Formats: sequence, C-alpha cells, structure tokens
Amino acid sequence: MLERILVNGLVTSGTYAVLAVGFSLIFGVAKIFNMAHTALYMITAFLIFVGTNQLGFPYALSAVVSVGATIGFGLICYALLFDRVKVHQTAVMIISLAVAMLGQEILLLTLSGHYRGIAPFVTGSIDILGVAVLYQHLFTVLGCLATLFGLWALLTKTNLGKAIRAVAQDSETANLMGINVSRVCLITMGISAGLAAVAAVVAAPLEPLHPGMWMLPLTMILAAVVLGGLGSIKGSVFGAIILGFAETIVVTAVPGGSFLRGAVSLAAMVLVLIARPEGLFGVVFEEERL
Amino acid sequence: MYLEVNGITVLYDRAMVLNDVSFHVDKGELVSLVGPNGAGKSTLLRALAGLIRWEKDTLKGTTLGKITLEGSVLFGGEEMMRLPSHDIAKRGLILCPERGRPFREMTVLENLEAGAYLVKDKGVVKETIDRVYGLFPVLDKRRGQVSGTLSGGERTMLSIARALMSQARFLLIDEPSVGLAPLVKEDLFSRINQVHGMGITILLSEQDIGFAFDLATRNYVMSRGKVIAEGRADDLLADELIRKTYLGL
Repeated sequence: MLERILVNGLVTSGTYAVLAVGFSLIFGVAKIFNMAHTALYMITAFLIFVGTNQLGFPYALSAVVSVGATIGFGLICYALLFDRVKVHQTAVMIISLAVAMLGQEILLLTLSGHYRGIAPFVTGSIDILGVAVLYQHLFTVLGCLATLFGLWALLTKTNLGKAIRAVAQDSETANLMGINVSRVCLITMGISAGLAAVAAVVAAPLEPLHPGMWMLPLTMILAAVVLGGLGSIKGSVFGAIILGFAETIVVTAVPGGSFLRGAVSLAAMVLVLIARPEGLFGVVFEEERL
Repeated sequence: MYLEVNGITVLYDRAMVLNDVSFHVDKGELVSLVGPNGAGKSTLLRALAGLIRWEKDTLKGTTLGKITLEGSVLFGGEEMMRLPSHDIAKRGLILCPERGRPFREMTVLENLEAGAYLVKDKGVVKETIDRVYGLFPVLDKRRGQVSGTLSGGERTMLSIARALMSQARFLLIDEPSVGLAPLVKEDLFSRINQVHGMGITILLSEQDIGFAFDLATRNYVMSRGKVIAEGRADDLLADELIRKTYLGL
C-alpha cells in the first residue's frame, strides 16, 4: 500500500502543483483571482479527447493544438473580461466563475454529461525498485517536474521572468524600469493558461472526463494556495504536495475514502485560515504607500 | 532647455494637488525642489515620470481613479504627457521613488538586473553593474542579500543604482534623505554629487533645506501645489519672506 500511496501521491501532487503555480502566478502578477483556472484545464482535457477519440489524431498533435487553443482562450478571457474589471477583485472572481460555468454548460450541451476517458499517452509499466509503475504515471510525474523546473528557470534566469517578478512585487515601480506592465500581465496570463493546459496534457488520461471535473481541482488548488501563502509560488508547490499526499492517503488508506477527497482540502483550508492566515510561506505585507 | 514643464495641474477628485506648475531644468544641472510636506513635490515628480497617468489608467472605474492631469512636459524637445510611463523611462527620464521602493523579494543584484530591463546588450549590463558597484560599494557587499532587508540609506542608493542601470540621462530623485541618520545623509550627499559629476542631470525633491541647497546649483521652492520662488540658495536665503514663510528658518 505504501508504494501505491507514494506513486499516486506524486501523480496527484504534481498535477495540483502545476495547476496551483499557474493560479498563483496570475494572481500575484495581475491580481486576478481566476476561478476559471481549472476550467482551462478541463477545456484542454476535452479538446484532447475530441482530438484523439473523435477525430483520430495522435495524442501529441492533439495535445499541442489543445494547449495552443487553451492559451488563446485564456488570453481572450483576459483581454475582453478580466482586464477591464481588474480593479474590482470581486468582479474578477464572479466573472471568472461565470466563465468556468459557461465552459461547463457548453461541454454539457455539446458532448453530454457522460464520463469519458482518454487512452494513456504511453501504455505498459516499468519496474522501479520492485514496484510496477505505469509509464503514464511516470510521464505525468516527470512532465510536472519538467514544467515546474521550466517555470523556475523562466522566472529566475530570463529578462522576462525578472520583469514578471518585478510587476508582482511592485507594479508601479516596474513602470519606472521601462517595463510595460499591461503587456507583462497579458504574457503572464498566457503562461498561466499554458500551465493549466500542460497539467491536462500530462494528467488527463488518468482522470475521468466530465463537465464538472473543474470543481474538485479548483477547491484543491485554492486550498493549496491558501496553505502555501497566497501569491507565493514556492508556497503553492509545497501546499499542493502536502494536500496531494493527504488526499492520496485518505483515498487509499481510509475505507470509502474516495468520498472524502474534497473534504481533505477544505478541512486543510479552514484549519490554515484559523491557525496561520498568511500560510506557510506567505508574507504579511505592511502597507508602505505614499 | 532639457526639461520644460508648462502648466502642470493635478487634481485628485476635487482636491488640487498641483496648480499650474511651470519650471525648467537645463542639461547638466542639479536642481532641487524644496518645500514642506504636502507641497506637491512627490506628485510633481510622479507626474513627470508618467506615474500619475498610469495611476489614473489603472484605477479607472473607481473613485480613486478620478484624477485630472493637465499641462505639458517637454523632455529633449519631445512631449512626455502623451507617453505611457514605461516609454518615458525608455527616453532616459527615470524616477527614484521615495524610500527607494526596491523589489523587496529580489536580491540587490536582481534589482539591478531588473533595472537593466531595457538594455539588451549583456556586455553593457555587466559594465554598468561594475560601474554602480564602484559608485556604491555597499551594494557590492550586499549583492546577494534580499533587498527588503536593506537599511533606508541602502534602499535609496539601490534605487539610484537601479535607475543608472537603465542608462538614465535624467534622474528624478524623490526625498533621498528622508529618515536617514546624519552620517548616512552625508555619505548619500557625496554619492549624489558623484552621479551628477558623471554628466547626469538631476532634479531632486527634498525637505531638508540644508541638504538640498548645498547640493543643487539652482532651486525651486514649492508650497501648496505651486512653485512660489526660484533661485540660487544665497538669494533664496537672503529673502526674508521666503526664509520665514516657506523654509521655516
């Protein structure tokens, strides 16, 4: 059982981590609380499904096209909706939630509410230290790790990454460095949508697809982000790992535990908000205005 | 004239912060802008850097965004009021905000690199980093330190260094000496003088009259959103009315 917890825990927490950093990134930079983040994940998953199962394209091609389409959709949502009401954070939350529900209803109308599945990207399994690990699991974990590493390299090593971090920390001062803040926000939205899409590419074959599949991951990443500290990328990763494993342990070890999946994250969120509202890595910002 | 400001007026909702302000700065000058708290010095510098316009655009649709901004700012013969703030920075007119405002979670070196955002040539970036380390050795010592943990004087120096990284030709320095110990002030004073010596034009807002008058070649006195006097330090100090009413000496 221990090895199953380890493998499944890594798969779950890796996916949540990629989703959570994307959510955290756009919140930190553009102050957009994007409730539609996991809906982007769902849209990619369904696009891949349509590509592989209905149109008969190979997985890789469907994946690339779906990621591109999702990024495009995310950018359109940002430019047409979020950006216009950015100053009003509640409006951003409501509008993004509406986008998510709209996506759900459109999928329900076009593809019906049946559970669907995507065939694994790679079949078969490999023996690692006496444990049979599915190639698909390996693909998911390595894909998540590579994505997180890529994001870290982008944020710390490139000029664009420094601009993104500068805007996240002090958007007004970033202007003075010649950084085009609205363009950086738009690019960040693209990256954030791309991260949600990549999470779907690596994890969708493990998930039953249905138009309500955005809700559970949304509560999970909200909890992970609260646990790690709102706006902290590092915190989101650790929050996702902790919750991913907590969820896996409950599902695997507790009889009938799969019904408690969502309860783990919500309980964790409530506990954190009571005990340490700023989260594990959160910074309490003292206001230092003029 | 290098910088020519004509009739800048700023209203936050119905509160007038700047009332028809006009002045000019020639190339190579170090001009100070003195006056009491609330005179509008910071707002003026922020307007020149395009931040008032940015604030207005960003807060559009809220009560805080009801900002009126009028007037003309010619820098090197080009109108700045129509440009977004990041394009103004591109022209080499750069604001060092009050208290430095470093990017707090980045290290000193990362702050400098962020300052060099506009410079595409890696060689030039390296060269400029060495130059600002020469000018501010304390930043070299703290290069790996997270800038949120710097002292007040170091933050101010970092903001000047960061501005120099983007190849600034004209620095707007907002209240550099605020909250600094006398010895730190002395040190900063000589560093600003050095920066000026490098051929960079400086407009400096300051509440410490002694600091400003010793440093500047020419001064403007501001009060209640207006420029009410202009001149060399001696002339201003000789004027009984200005000395008593506005400088509090």
